[in-house]
Amino acid sequence: MSTIEFKGLVKKYRDVTAVDDLWAEAKPGRITGFLGPNGAGKSTALRCLLGLANPTSGESLIGGRPYSGIAHPLQEVGAVLDSSGFNGSLTARQNLKIICAASGIDYKRINEVLELVELGNVKGKRTKGFSLGMRQRLSLAVALLGDPQVMVLDEPANGLDPLGIVWLRKFLRDLADQGRTILVSSHQLAEMQHTVDDVIIINHGKLVVKGTIAEVTKGKSLEEAFMNLVVGA
Amino acid sequence: MKLLKSEFLKLVYQRRTYGLLLAAMAIDVLATAATPYVLSKSKLGIEMSLSTPTAVDAIYAKSLGGYLFVVIVGVFLMSSEFAHHTAIATFLATPKRIRALGAKLIVAAMFGAVFNLVASAVGLASGAIALSAYNIKVAPDSYIWVDYPASAMLTGAVLAVIGVAIGTLIRNQNLAVSLTMVWLFLVDRLIAFIFPDWGKWLPTGLITSLSDLHIKVGGANSPITIDTSSFLDPWPAAGMLLVYGIVFSMAAVLTTLRRDID
Repeated sequence: MSTIEFKGLVKKYRDVTAVDDLWAEAKPGRITGFLGPNGAGKSTALRCLLGLANPTSGESLIGGRPYSGIAHPLQEVGAVLDSSGFNGSLTARQNLKIICAASGIDYKRINEVLELVELGNVKGKRTKGFSLGMRQRLSLAVALLGDPQVMVLDEPANGLDPLGIVWLRKFLRDLADQGRTILVSSHQLAEMQHTVDDVIIINHGKLVVKGTIAEVTKGKSLEEAFMNLVVGA
Repeated sequence: MKLLKSEFLKLVYQRRTYGLLLAAMAIDVLATAATPYVLSKSKLGIEMSLSTPTAVDAIYAKSLGGYLFVVIVGVFLMSSEFAHHTAIATFLATPKRIRALGAKLIVAAMFGAVFNLVASAVGLASGAIALSAYNIKVAPDSYIWVDYPASAMLTGAVLAVIGVAIGTLIRNQNLAVSLTMVWLFLVDRLIAFIFPDWGKWLPTGLITSLSDLHIKVGGANSPITIDTSSFLDPWPAAGMLLVYGIVFSMAAVLTTLRRDID
């Protein structure tokens, strides 16, 4: 099964420690919220997990392997890291075709995922005209191209309107119910309370708390628990 | 093969690629068409008789000028990955970075060779038409029709690779393109022109050397002196160009392996 594991992950940039000895995991069939204030180290940890940043020490594994050790990464791990990661002068379909070609994914899958994220009607349009919400959906489409068992999402709700957020929540729940591992970072605590099963909270690069949502909130709202743990800590 | 296809799509989907090809063809046509007139009518003391083989070679050698745009194609192929943040998708699909970059360098070399061959062929045709206006014809079996296209392919391949490497080393796309253009359009040419003993080791000098063009015109009574008499022979020049390509590729690989991807 494809568990995500951070094992003593440390990432330093010169004198700044962005991630400091992080131990945490996200399990299959569950949505794990990865929370923390701005600059807490969430994005850095996710970049280390996906092989985009080299850790200073420690490791991060997916299904027991580093990302770089996965033979067909997009078929095992889908990631949403940056909604601006498209060439604006190319159409949505062309952007996805380039990724399919690199991964050996059948082009037929492009129409399927674009329909799934409700962008089927704009597949021939250049992405420079896309709104932030449309680019977020397109990022999700990229993540789904390989029909992966693991999804790593960094702030996927950014730019989505309330309908889009509800759509995303249901979307992630459906994926988790299929047994997939979902790790999602977000600032939107109220929304995350309705979405996640487990929580990892970090601050200043260090783990603050991890557990099920019930264990972490102890009957309070996630926002209250977060404020007590992060601001009050 | 998958990666090569992906990198190839990145080039052919970009309308900019075709614009640069048109620009390369235009500059080759302009240079080969105008040079006979310049050589025969110049008041700068660099006139040559168009009936000499050297003058004919000098005119056809202008068909190699498209490399200025090939290098920009290479720069864009890499720097646009950082400008649009598509490097993330590229390296998520291919986490072994050396493979991703290797594919990019191979596609750049292949595409650069064909790109410069097409531009050069148009330039050669333009030169032939221009020379025919002066009643000068080069026999079809002349080495010009073999050596110059081969030189164009080698130049295109190496300069495209150098462009990719520059795009890797300088992640700011505007800066990478600007510095490359200023260097190749201005600095490299001025060094080759003013200090030929140094310039012969730089790209412009080496590409000129591929034409096997050893000339010295102008001099004491002329404000301009063109002196390529000390330039390398074609084979050493080709070898030196390849060394440039290899050194730049190594720098690109080392940088890509070491840096985090934003």
